[in-house]
Amino acid sequence: MRRRDFLKAAVAGGAGVSLGGRLYPRAAWAQGPIKIGMPAALSGAYAQYGIQAKRAADLFARDVKAKGVLGRPVEFIFEDTAGDPAAAVRKAQKLVEKDGVKFLTGVALSSEALAVSAKCPEWKVIFMSTINGAGALTAKSFQRYFFRVNTSGPMGARAVSLYLAESPMKRFFALGSDYAWGRDSVASFTSQITAAKKDIVATEFPPVGTKDFASYIAKIRQSRADGVYLVLPGQDATIYLKQAHQFGLNREVKPIMEILELENMKAVGDAMVGAIGSSRYPFTVDTPKNRDFVKRFHELHGLYPDMFDGETYEGLEWLAQVIAKAGTDDVEKVIDAWEDSSYDGLEGPFFMRKCDHQAVQPGFAVECVKDPKYPHPIPKILATYPGEKVTPKCRTEEFS
Amino acid sequence: MANLLEQLLNALALAGLLFLVSAGLSLVFGILRVVNFAHGVFYMIGAYLGFTTVALTGWFWPALVVVPPIVGLLGALLESSTLRFIYRRPPIYQLLLTFGLALILEESVRVLYGPTAKGVEPPPLLQGAIDLGGLLYPRYRLFLVVLGCTVGVAVWLFLKATRAGLVIRAVAQNSEMADCLGADVARVRTLVFGAACALAGLGGVAAAPMTTAYLGMGISVIVDAFVVVVIGGLGSIGGSMAGSLIVGAAQTWGAFYLPETAMVIMYAVMGAILVFRPWGLFGEEE
Repeated sequence: MRRRDFLKAAVAGGAGVSLGGRLYPRAAWAQGPIKIGMPAALSGAYAQYGIQAKRAADLFARDVKAKGVLGRPVEFIFEDTAGDPAAAVRKAQKLVEKDGVKFLTGVALSSEALAVSAKCPEWKVIFMSTINGAGALTAKSFQRYFFRVNTSGPMGARAVSLYLAESPMKRFFALGSDYAWGRDSVASFTSQITAAKKDIVATEFPPVGTKDFASYIAKIRQSRADGVYLVLPGQDATIYLKQAHQFGLNREVKPIMEILELENMKAVGDAMVGAIGSSRYPFTVDTPKNRDFVKRFHELHGLYPDMFDGETYEGLEWLAQVIAKAGTDDVEKVIDAWEDSSYDGLEGPFFMRKCDHQAVQPGFAVECVKDPKYPHPIPKILATYPGEKVTPKCRTEEFS
Repeated sequence: MANLLEQLLNALALAGLLFLVSAGLSLVFGILRVVNFAHGVFYMIGAYLGFTTVALTGWFWPALVVVPPIVGLLGALLESSTLRFIYRRPPIYQLLLTFGLALILEESVRVLYGPTAKGVEPPPLLQGAIDLGGLLYPRYRLFLVVLGCTVGVAVWLFLKATRAGLVIRAVAQNSEMADCLGADVARVRTLVFGAACALAGLGGVAAAPMTTAYLGMGISVIVDAFVVVVIGGLGSIGGSMAGSLIVGAAQTWGAFYLPETAMVIMYAVMGAILVFRPWGLFGEEE
């Protein structure tokens, strides 16, 4: 057995950890690992998002274990923020100052992201968003150390609006959670859907964490709308869909979701079949690269990747590619290398705009369908829109 | 007419769920003089155990019978192993302890079940909606109304008409005197704590088909339950019933008729009670 084969076998067998150092050239090893800090919500009500980021990082770490980046090992350092913006800033600061990370990612909530992003120019570290939807991050609150690899909230609303513009549905009810994301997305949807000469018959903003949607369901039924546009975070969406199904409402008024998540499909089950919406990343995209990713993800974790599993993996792969291109992990040089660069993502081509660091990428309208091959309903792609059509004008949340 | 009936049923169904949680919270305060922060977590554990029972047996009904005793046993164990030793300390100790227990139990559930919410299907008999004179209404919510009323009457009768109920009321009124008269106060406390947790567990099982079993459901229900108990009066079962009806109505009717102020109404009622009748509608002035 040659030395190389032995090392490969050792890595595959899980015994590679202790041998890690010997895999890299001596000079590169002396520089130490490239550290990526993840201040993610790993506990609390939003843990599902932080856990998706961690799952993607686990797979990526396994992928680069053999070669490293620039011949240097990649090290992930996780901190739990529990979804609290103040804790996110505190944990990010600890990662930067104590652990010496130059790259932050895995932040779950937009509120956390806005707080962390504001500190990055001072810390001189790159913050790569792979989850955060708030349009402001690449518009009003933009700063050059921030990069958004994922589809933003306004981009998701755009994809759904483009799809609905061509559907026979005419009258819509908008139901958004009463906070920034819910109100912004309903406003964005309203302006785009009225531009398509369709009607918003009513809007309501239930508080975050609503347990009983019966009163809203009664209103939606009375409005005689064709569809209801839902901007509800994970658990709220699950509860709404479950209750609307029990009232028999989903047959009368089609649920249209700002984000159609696998998490919801697993919890709601067949009652969710027929719902449509946008997806940041539907794991059913049929590209060779994605098929391979889904297969490897399933091998490692025993489940199918949700939206932010895919988006975070893409971010990490792209970041590694950019560091390799820059030839260094120096923050300023990485920023220069990243701007106006391209990346071959899981669901198609990505391009990082220099003007606002928003990644231009395909947008999707999907439908929740049943497929006997899977243990839960899955997103079926109804329409794919090229990046130019779903990305807003530079540093704005508006579309031309 | 159909509209009014629907609003009435919505309020009653929510009140039924709230009663199952707040009754135990109120009892525990009346008898143990402890504000139990962990109470909502027992509701959540009930929902998750309900999911497990349905997954194992394929039936919903056994969960209603099997889960509450298990949750009750867990509660009794925790009371006799932790709370029992700090009754004589200032209330802040009990608050900290129950808050800590709530965090530990919640994270344990997350480790065991993972972050994804668990859907529970209602039994076939209660699936879908029923036509009530032009109004389509979910059968399961009607069941919640019936369940809430039944349990409410049963608990009330138990406390008023049985010997055990008499002892419990005696301990609630004056635990030292009850002790002198031969009541085993420590045992009464453990049993009441366990029974309160069992009621919360029953509430969790009943809530699961309507809201799914999810992390954080305990925290979100405990806030409403505290409001119920403040309005109704700490330690009073009749007060819990009245408080549940008021909060159920305030939340559902508020969301329907005055959506912008839905959350305010509930707290406004609570504020008014605190100002004009701080011991609650059915509580006793101390």
